[in-house]
Amino acid sequence: MNDVQGSILTLIKSLLERSDKGDVAVDMDTTIHGDDGLSLDSLETAELSAMLEDEFGTDPFGVGLMPETVAEIVAFYTSGEAAGEFVPA
Amino acid sequence: MSNPRTVVITGGSRGLGAGIVQSFLDSGDRVASCSRSSTDQVKRWEADHPDRFLFVEADIADRDQSKAFIKAVIDRFGSIDILVNNAGVARDGILALFSDEDSDAVIDLNLKATIDVSRQVVRNMLAHGGGRIVNISSITGLTGYRGLTVYGATKAAIDGFTRGLAREVGSRKITVNSIASGYLKTEMSHGLDDGQLEQIVRRTPAGRLGEPEDIARAVQFLTDERNDWLTGQVLVIDGGLTC
Repeated sequence: MNDVQGSILTLIKSLLERSDKGDVAVDMDTTIHGDDGLSLDSLETAELSAMLEDEFGTDPFGVGLMPETVAEIVAFYTSGEAAGEFVPA
Repeated sequence: MSNPRTVVITGGSRGLGAGIVQSFLDSGDRVASCSRSSTDQVKRWEADHPDRFLFVEADIADRDQSKAFIKAVIDRFGSIDILVNNAGVARDGILALFSDEDSDAVIDLNLKATIDVSRQVVRNMLAHGGGRIVNISSITGLTGYRGLTVYGATKAAIDGFTRGLAREVGSRKITVNSIASGYLKTEMSHGLDDGQLEQIVRRTPAGRLGEPEDIARAVQFLTDERNDWLTGQVLVIDGGLTC
């Protein structure tokens, strides 16, 4: 697991604990919105977006993307989408 | 909420905004403010409180400048605990003679800039687990006032914004309230002339115009960490004028 992936998983787990979903398992294939995944509602998605921006300086939701899985969030930071402005906190 | 708290007050260089800035400096908090230009008062604050006062010259009706201001606050203080949306402009004149330019100026600053700053700050509050937002509104948004139709419309809209946002983020320890201010003895008394202000005083049960401190004390109350069950409300502070 690389640093970005680890940071994102930690951040998502922190969000889930705040939302009383601490028992939900998270891995790279976990879906963000589906009932079989994190089941984030719109406010929780906004929180995730804000937390990612706070941690990394940018976030996929803020640039108009709508990642469906944890892996797609990680890919935003590792595959060039945010490469120009990605600065680890 | 951190202690001292980090407080953002838009339009804090003069008038009511300056009174609110002074109040939070007096309570020992970190204060960030902006307006289109600095003032002697701002320079005094910068000299007296270099470690906990930040001022940025910015026209927050311009989204790039608004974004730069909030970024500067977060870069300096880390997170934001309290937002006071105070910046506003009043252009008076009957609607039938009102110019497009005046209409746009009032709506762009009073409404659109307030929404834009709130959006940025609420994201920071969501990431950091809570906060307080106070929107400075006006009794002209509740009762209407001849010659202040557009101004009153923006203030009524801000009250609606307050209620909607309060519902949206209430579960995240963020409270959102409005203060509907009456007429104050400040530089921006809504463009009213002396005769109009004297008439207002005669009709005010408290028998005087308001002072910035009258409003600042209410802002302190609404932003008190203990007041987490008070949200989505419009608190009228007008010496009883509208009662």
